Amino acid sequence: MSEGVREMRFFSFHLMPYPGLPDDYDGPAWVTCPNSLFDPGVGTQIYNRYLDELILAEELGFDGVCVNEHHQNAYGLMPSPNLMASILARQTSRVRIAVVGNALPLYDPPTRVAEEFAMIDCISGGRLIAGMVVGGGPEYYSSSINPAHARERFQEAHDIIKRAWTEPGPFEFIGKHYKLRYVNSWPRPVQQPHPEIWVPGVGSLETIEFVARNRYAYMGIPYFHIDVFERMFKMMREACQREGYEVDPLQLGWLVPIFVAETDAEARRQYEEHFWYFVRRLLPGINISPPGYTSIRSYENILKGAKTFALNLKTWDEVQAGQYAIVGSPDTVTERLTENLRRLGPGNLLGLFQLGTLPADATRRSLELFGTEVMPKLRATFPAGQPVLGAPAAVA
Amino acid sequence: MGASLVDERLVTEIGAVQIFRGGTGDPVVYLHSAMGEGAGTLFLEDLAEERAVVAPVFPGFGASEGIESIEDMEDAVFHLLDVFDRLGLSSPAVVGLSLGGWMAAELAVRYPDRVGRLVLVNPAGLYLPGAEIKELFGRPLRELAQDMFADQSHPMAQMMSQLDIMAASEVEIPFEVLRPLLQSMAATAKLAWDPYLHDPKLARRLHRVSSPTLIVRGAQDTLVPRAHAEAYASGISRARLVEVDDAAHLLPLEKPDELVGLLRAHLAA
Repeated sequence: MSEGVREMRFFSFHLMPYPGLPDDYDGPAWVTCPNSLFDPGVGTQIYNRYLDELILAEELGFDGVCVNEHHQNAYGLMPSPNLMASILARQTSRVRIAVVGNALPLYDPPTRVAEEFAMIDCISGGRLIAGMVVGGGPEYYSSSINPAHARERFQEAHDIIKRAWTEPGPFEFIGKHYKLRYVNSWPRPVQQPHPEIWVPGVGSLETIEFVARNRYAYMGIPYFHIDVFERMFKMMREACQREGYEVDPLQLGWLVPIFVAETDAEARRQYEEHFWYFVRRLLPGINISPPGYTSIRSYENILKGAKTFALNLKTWDEVQAGQYAIVGSPDTVTERLTENLRRLGPGNLLGLFQLGTLPADATRRSLELFGTEVMPKLRATFPAGQPVLGAPAAVA
Repeated sequence: MGASLVDERLVTEIGAVQIFRGGTGDPVVYLHSAMGEGAGTLFLEDLAEERAVVAPVFPGFGASEGIESIEDMEDAVFHLLDVFDRLGLSSPAVVGLSLGGWMAAELAVRYPDRVGRLVLVNPAGLYLPGAEIKELFGRPLRELAQDMFADQSHPMAQMMSQLDIMAASEVEIPFEVLRPLLQSMAATAKLAWDPYLHDPKLARRLHRVSSPTLIVRGAQDTLVPRAHAEAYASGISRARLVEVDDAAHLLPLEKPDELVGLLRAHLAA
């Protein structure tokens, strides 16, 4: 066991999807999905239920919970994940709260992110994981922010936020997209020099190089064939090597849908229809790639995985073969996760336990089985993360 | 029959750009649309039989460099001025399609004496409440082809539909086929994402255009509503509007002969 390699961490990730799209609606769940389909009564019920599911994860011994940001869609009802994180900061006492992430280019001025993240870090006593993301393609339609500026705005916003946390204010920031004469963030974060930073991505080379350069952690976004994750993580390892260090497993996160029931047959019986609601009703529209959002060289790379995107899935056999969701009895789930964790080598497992229309009782039972029967075994199998050699990176 | 155009390079302030040139006579500058049409465009070759055709490829399109230095229409206009100066074009006739028509109008309101006769074909550039330009970005190509061509049997319309069918199937589309399309759309987004395909200040500046102006509209263009052609025609004092039947947004590709006829008459008048 090499010195400094830390234990694998388990997170429960929630998308907070809208479960009530009517059967006769066959349009996209993004950008143009009519908001007349949103029932605020359902909203009241599911927001509270979904928060309960995240709070349950703390009781079950998870290391952290994850929320994320999406706009104007039925796939994930968290236009402000920071609101959810601030509730969780009060209602939990131990877990890390990972906001994965704030879509930086959508904030103007981005000092808002520095301020809100610092608030959450203060309220939670230093439990925030600060996720920063370029934002999905649909967000650029929903916000009218120019996708051709996405990468530049992300970089500038990131620089502003990090400096706001680490440099004495006030200071001036004059960039191409943001021109702020006074940056002077009150409050400042509890974690020093700043909270751990995660960046989610789907294999864009620019993003991976940015993460490697800054020694942040890269979260592989799900719904692709396992081969795509393997390639992304390989890219991340190589990018870190080019920066002159070996990746720390904690710099890698694998996000995957997980469902546990008493037996394999029971798991599939309870889960499959909800998985298909997710794939066929909530994913359509997520894959829209606005012009200029990705460089041509990255686009070519992303395209290599595009055919394996879950939206193209037709059969349950394909779901299983590609590891799109890990579904089964506690033994099966343990076995398949062990195998895939060994193959990918991440130090963070981000389980998506609720998905699509999966009801509250099945979600709760699955979380409980995972917490009591799967997680302890995986902790024993991976007592100190993946055996990656070399000096661990300082995960900031 | 037509004079074929030569693919040249011109070094500009912001990088080397590609220019298609051919023919002799009074110069006509052609500013392409978001499709980046240039070489092999029949109507340009026909026009080159009697005029010196100059078709600069805008930065970000084709092999033209410099899109990093272009943020908005202001930058586009200064780039065009640079190209004009380097080619010794003092006040050439300017023809622009769609995005190129918008660019031509932006040039003409700022530097009216640098534009001889002006021809705007299905120009973008204005915002008219109730007659908005349809979405160009992120739509299925076969759907876009409906707005672009009156006749869906046009080879380009067919190609757009085929690409869509391929994308939805297991067939791998060679990246070299997609690359020009991705580049063109990315460059267009820089100029036209927000505000969407218009400049809020353009309408009240149109009175500055002094050139005799021909507005050409494809009668079946469903991307840019007719009201836009009318607004240009009424905003520019010496403008005339002509509608071409059986043509949609990409009128120069669909009705090259008719367009050359109209240009010939307008440029000679």
